[in-house]
Amino acid sequence: MFARLPLPAQFDRIIMTGGLVGSLVMGPILVGLIALYMLSRISGAEVVFYLASVVILLGALGAVLLPNLVHSALSLIATLLGVAAIYLMLLSEFLALVQILVYGGGVIMLVIFGLMLTNAQDDPVVSDGSQKPFAFGVGALIAGLFVAAAMMAQWGPSTATIIPFPAFGERLFRDFSLPIIIVAFLLDIAFTGALVNARRAESAAAEDAATGGTR
Amino acid sequence: MTIPLSSFLVLSALLFGIGFYGVLARRSAILILIAVEIMLAAVAINFIAFATYRDPKAFSGLVFALFVIAVAAAEVGLALGIVLRLFRERRTANVDEANSLKW
Repeated sequence: MFARLPLPAQFDRIIMTGGLVGSLVMGPILVGLIALYMLSRISGAEVVFYLASVVILLGALGAVLLPNLVHSALSLIATLLGVAAIYLMLLSEFLALVQILVYGGGVIMLVIFGLMLTNAQDDPVVSDGSQKPFAFGVGALIAGLFVAAAMMAQWGPSTATIIPFPAFGERLFRDFSLPIIIVAFLLDIAFTGALVNARRAESAAAEDAATGGTR
Repeated sequence: MTIPLSSFLVLSALLFGIGFYGVLARRSAILILIAVEIMLAAVAINFIAFATYRDPKAFSGLVFALFVIAVAAAEVGLALGIVLRLFRERRTANVDEANSLKW
């Protein structure tokens, strides 16, 4: 199993290539945005917003389009960190912190572990040709519908207000205390279930080995 | 804040469409999981945008975004357990080959 894990040299190459491609793509966009800012066409907040949007959308496209699965998972990191930046733009710093901790720390680690434990390198991702046009059509239809709806609607005065942190905690633990407990149970049950599932497979494999694989 | 609410909604819609494409087009179970994560992030952006722009008194959207993150973490843990189990039994992580209910 360990022979299948990527070597450090391979990871170095991935990181170097990712950094090179990322800076080549993002550099001109950053320069263009700063130029627009200098010409006072857009405000500083808009510079940050467009930068985060480009990072999010390019990362998401990489995550669903790249043929190499490890590259997809690493590209997802860009998307999730960009989403954390968007949360900061929306003045909710607590959720940005939670996003970085849970996604950047936990989910990405789980996904990469899952990729490497299921020898992702040999997965025949290339063989899926027939469903891609249909998938593209449906995805474009849904995105177009939502974009049209968001552009056409009248949203009234657009003022984002800072929601104070103590008020958020009070609302969370006073009005939503029962859902919090339910989510806690859900997390507990889910991870216990995942553990039991994986362990039962191991014991079955051990029985297999003991009985000579007659199962 | 000079950014209108519709900018966030458009970003979220594009992200949701990309994630939907990934769910439909990918075949590896873990890549489908990644695409589902992208869709959940889009929905959470919508929740928070509406909470901070349109509902600053009650801000239920913020609480729901927190629940989305928690449930997504549970989903990833459980789904990866199932994928690992599938890989051990079938030597594949491809959802097209997991087409029998019992083996």
